[in-house]
Amino acid sequence: MPNALEVSHVSKRFRSHRQGAGYSTLKSLFLGKGRRQSAPPESYHQALTDVSLVVPKGEVHGVIGRNGSGKTTLLKLITGIYRPDEGSIRYEGRLASLIELGAGFHPDFTGRENALINGMVLGMTKREILDRMDTIIAYAEIEEFIDEPVRTYSTGMYMRLAFAIAVHVDPDVLLLDEILSVGDEQFARKCAHEIDRFRANGTTILIVSHDLEAVKRYCSHVIHLEGGRVRNEGSAADVVEAYRAQFAE
Amino acid sequence: MGILTTMKTCWRHRALIGALVTRQLNARYRGSILGFLWTFLNPIFLMLIYALVFRVYMRFDMDHYPAFVFAGLLPWIWFTTSMSEGTNSLIANGNLITRAMFPPEILPVVAVIANLMNFVFTIPVLLVVFLISGIPFGWQLAWLPVIVAIQCIFTLALTFLFAALNVPFRDVQHLLTNALTFWFFLCPILYPLERVPDILKPVALGNGMGTLVTSYQNIFVHQQGPGIAALFAMLFGSLLLLVLGDAVFRHYRDTFAEYL
Ligand SMILES: Nc1ncnc2c1ncn2[C@@H]1O[C@H](COP(=O)(O)OP(=O)(O)OP(=O)(O)O)[C@@H](O)[C@H]1O
Ligand SMILES: [Mg+2]
Repeated sequence: MPNALEVSHVSKRFRSHRQGAGYSTLKSLFLGKGRRQSAPPESYHQALTDVSLVVPKGEVHGVIGRNGSGKTTLLKLITGIYRPDEGSIRYEGRLASLIELGAGFHPDFTGRENALINGMVLGMTKREILDRMDTIIAYAEIEEFIDEPVRTYSTGMYMRLAFAIAVHVDPDVLLLDEILSVGDEQFARKCAHEIDRFRANGTTILIVSHDLEAVKRYCSHVIHLEGGRVRNEGSAADVVEAYRAQFAE
Repeated sequence: MGILTTMKTCWRHRALIGALVTRQLNARYRGSILGFLWTFLNPIFLMLIYALVFRVYMRFDMDHYPAFVFAGLLPWIWFTTSMSEGTNSLIANGNLITRAMFPPEILPVVAVIANLMNFVFTIPVLLVVFLISGIPFGWQLAWLPVIVAIQCIFTLALTFLFAALNVPFRDVQHLLTNALTFWFFLCPILYPLERVPDILKPVALGNGMGTLVTSYQNIFVHQQGPGIAALFAMLFGSLLLLVLGDAVFRHYRDTFAEYL
């Protein structure tokens, strides 16, 4: 079966945000010139080093690892939000991603406005989204709040809306970052049901989560990232158990 | 050339641009009682204040002074709000840029178009002010779309430039706020160009907006041609500036998500 998603030898480093490097002010630009000798050399943080993964079409894979190990960075690279310093990324069809609790909502836009903008960014036409708007709202079960700015939403409501949109754009590849841990029991069941349905329809899914039981349940294959490198990969049960064993003592 | 790629991207996302412009126009006065009326009231109040200070207090003697001020003020408001909103747009929409494959180049475009719409909506008010002042309309008004188009290019060029620079260098928005105030008084909006000493005329006109403002005044107030040579030079300069602004934007484009 062909691979729906391929990440080959990807590395990514960030300019450090410490003073005098990266995100700077004009002051540091001008003043920095005059005292170059004493200025610190530009420092980098290597977030990912030589990461590769392949997800065959229709499979659900997982990525686990400690805070700051590079999971979100990996999903952002796949989505195209960051550009890799090295390596390449390839996927087939339409890709939808829910990154860091949300799909890129503007806090001041209402739920409805965000659904429209988000759907269009994901490649749907205005007509298609407006036609599905009622279904999306019903699916998210946030009818009362849909015309409120999303900054007033609870984390779970925010996630429900983002998930509802992603589900209704019919993605070929779906990236989920931490969505399994914020919903209530009912939403968790809904997600489970949806992931099963996606798998049956041939959608390829990559899940990032700290909910190890959920990872074991959904994923056939899991990658363990540590310090931006692949430390371990294999069947979900093996990788999760090895990861847990690290913290056992 | 880079600018063509940018234009293609914007064209491909034209529906998204439309949706964002609509949202911006709807949201601007959300929660205010007078709502959309503020689009008209804001420039009218400004005009009245300037007329009071310069006409009444300073005894500035000029026919149809309020109408004259209004003709320059409206395009200036379009320019200045586009610049400040556009420059801030990448930061204001940081959530979209860092969490979705959102095309950042459409944000400056949205700022310029949304404020263009506001400008267009206030033109009827301008015509009413002219009717009340008893100023006739000339056929020269037909130049309006040309001047507007050139202002569009000029504003877009600068908005691209400053929006991109503002992401790594946050000083830009603060510098711009000051520069815009300065810029306003350099343009012959509150005073006619004739009052500017000859040696300073290049400053009054050469800042770009000065030329555009006098073109508006020519066709509205004086029923003259817009000053075709100057306008042509302005078009040429604006296109060059657009290529430059776009080049800077593209230079920083791929790093926006990391800085935001
Ligand atoms: N825009 C950025 N600029 C600088 N450093 C960044 C940026 N984004 C991420 N990093 C750094 O890259 C590393 C990996 O971050 P990432 O968000 O990918 O971690 P994560 O595995 O998703 O963690 P968590 O489990 O907490 O969500 C961190 O050290 C983080 O500080
Ligand atoms: Mg993360």
